[in-house]
Amino acid sequence: MLIRDLFSTATKGVTVNRMRSLLTMLGIIIGVGAVVLMTGVGKSVEGVILGQIDIMGPQTMIISPGNQGPEGGNASMRPDFDALTFEDVKALRTLSTIRTIAPGIIVPGDAQYEQEKVDPMLVGSTPEYFQNQNIKVTQGRLHDQQDEEASSFVVVIGSEIAEDLFFTRNPIGKRIEIAGRKFTVIGVLESVGMVFFQNLDNRIVMPFSTAVAITNRTYADIVTMQAVDDFDIAFADVRALLRQRHSITPAEDGSVDNDDFLVRSAAQAEAILGTVSISLTVFITMIAGISLFVGGIGIMNIMLVSVTERTREIGLRKAVGAKRKDILFQILIESIFLTLIGGCIGIVIGIVLDFLIATAVGKFLADYEFAISLGAILLALAMAVVTGVIFGLYPARKASLLHPIEALRYE
Amino acid sequence: MPENDAPLIETKNLQKSYFNEELETPVLFNIDLTIKKNEFVAIMGPSGSGKSTLMHILGFLDHHTGGEYLFQGQLAHEMDEDTLSRIRATRVSFVFQAFNLLPRASVEQNVMLPLIYHPTIPESERAERVAKAIETVGLTHRKNNLSNQLSGGEKQRTAIARALVTEPDIIFADEPTGNLDSVSGIQVMSALQELNEAGHTIILVTHEKSTAEHAERIIELFDGRITKDTTEFKTRKAKEEDSLQK
Ligand SMILES: Nc1ncnc2c1ncn2[C@@H]1O[C@H](COP(=O)(O)OP(=O)(O)OP(=O)(O)O)[C@@H](O)[C@H]1O
Ligand SMILES: [Mg+2]
Repeated sequence: MLIRDLFSTATKGVTVNRMRSLLTMLGIIIGVGAVVLMTGVGKSVEGVILGQIDIMGPQTMIISPGNQGPEGGNASMRPDFDALTFEDVKALRTLSTIRTIAPGIIVPGDAQYEQEKVDPMLVGSTPEYFQNQNIKVTQGRLHDQQDEEASSFVVVIGSEIAEDLFFTRNPIGKRIEIAGRKFTVIGVLESVGMVFFQNLDNRIVMPFSTAVAITNRTYADIVTMQAVDDFDIAFADVRALLRQRHSITPAEDGSVDNDDFLVRSAAQAEAILGTVSISLTVFITMIAGISLFVGGIGIMNIMLVSVTERTREIGLRKAVGAKRKDILFQILIESIFLTLIGGCIGIVIGIVLDFLIATAVGKFLADYEFAISLGAILLALAMAVVTGVIFGLYPARKASLLHPIEALRYE
Repeated sequence: MPENDAPLIETKNLQKSYFNEELETPVLFNIDLTIKKNEFVAIMGPSGSGKSTLMHILGFLDHHTGGEYLFQGQLAHEMDEDTLSRIRATRVSFVFQAFNLLPRASVEQNVMLPLIYHPTIPESERAERVAKAIETVGLTHRKNNLSNQLSGGEKQRTAIARALVTEPDIIFADEPTGNLDSVSGIQVMSALQELNEAGHTIILVTHEKSTAEHAERIIELFDGRITKDTTEFKTRKAKEEDSLQK
């Protein structure tokens, strides 16, 4: 029997009852579709998070005072805690495993230019802050060490602030009022949008010394820095130093529960992302496995029905000379066709849904880009075909063993 | 399978029983039979006498349960499944009592079916062979009709076209005229007769005397035993003279 004959015979077997074939494929369609969709969405989300980690600076570490739950928790700065004193910051500068240490203060108050008023996130920090947070200007300049030493009344403003206060006018050199004092705008920050649920375009940054002078503060609300080399060592050093300075006995279980500060990093987010994507992969594989198994049973069921229905036809084929393996392959290929077509439909549906989601989410989250995982698609398709083989084998074997005359006599 | 001097078909004390849930139904007893190449044999007998059963065994669709069946000197029960398939594909073919056509396929597709499983006929010859077989049975004008749209006679002729498309050595025909009126019956019989003249061995089951008379030899079965085996010495020529005289 020619391969071509085998395929055309099997094709007829599948297409003769289209509705039934389609319903049979449903399990496979859903399984493969879910895998394609979820891996695509996963990839898009991963892209967003990786982008944000990049914005945050991949080597960046952040210490904030207080401890409100596990690391990587709420990222907003908490001005109510006074645990991180300037003495602590000074001590941190002695550590060789971290660099570009930049203490930061949240300054309360709003900003005003002529009639326009905004409620920004006001930060006072040293020039290293820009380095740590990967901040660039689109206009003007960032404040520097000179501004720091002179406690200049200068600010760099986020793109949103610039827009709200100045519309299309050039903000550089304009004087805005912050907490009752006049500041000169020297730079406008590049727009980065939402990063970890925080609007970074809403920032106004002034020199640290200026903020200290305004607030008379002796403690920082945030300290940013970068690990020189290895994150784990840098983390351990920072923790050990602060625990020692704050006379904290580390919790027995090795957790950070007793600490009055929190150290976070982009790398942690990346590690968490890794864990999440592993569990997502396991989850998707389970869904795929279950639905392909269920789909496979459906296919086996329908193939058995179809073999029984066509007992006479199979008897006839054997009577005119079909070998066992001709019949075996015919039924097996039919079964593979079902899963393959189901798999292809699933892929198309998965991609379409993925695309629709990307279009919808992209409206709110500019960094969310349509993505598909080619590897997952191929794997899902391969699994579908394997399902076809496994669950087609029994009906195919059953058909191939039919005795010609008994099959012809079947009613 | 080598051509040799052994008769095409030879049975020695051939027996057949059906077994259904430990219940043995003996159907054929002590069948001794020799059929040579190019014979035209009619098997007659009352309903239930075992005619179809014997045909199915001789045509390799069923197994005998006792005695010996030699096909060109080769023991049938020693053949493996692939050899049996090959014989079914190349040496024998059937015109079934119940037609057994593929219902959703056209006349052409039905006639094509055995060629798909034929090990040596090349694909390029298929169309020509199918057309020729359909023409032989006079169905060219119906070749694209689905088989379930055909009349009984047309179905029967489609089945005959399917049986001769591979040009097998033996064509078995089980009551080929049983479902037909006399005109269609005569058409079918003359088609078979032409095949016999073209060198095919024809083995035919019938219960009509008039149909059996087309054959050179009539074997009568009764309750699973051969009760009569006549080589009617009327040659076809003599028959024709007969009919001329009438
Ligand atoms: N699968 C079977 N199991 C048991 N008995 C069977 C089976 N097939 C046929 N028989 C019996 O074998 C006997 C011969 O059957 P067969 O079909 O060969 O008869 P036949 O001579 O062709 O009859 P008809 O002229 O009605 O076609 C019958 O008595 C029948 O009941
Ligand atoms: Mg019969």
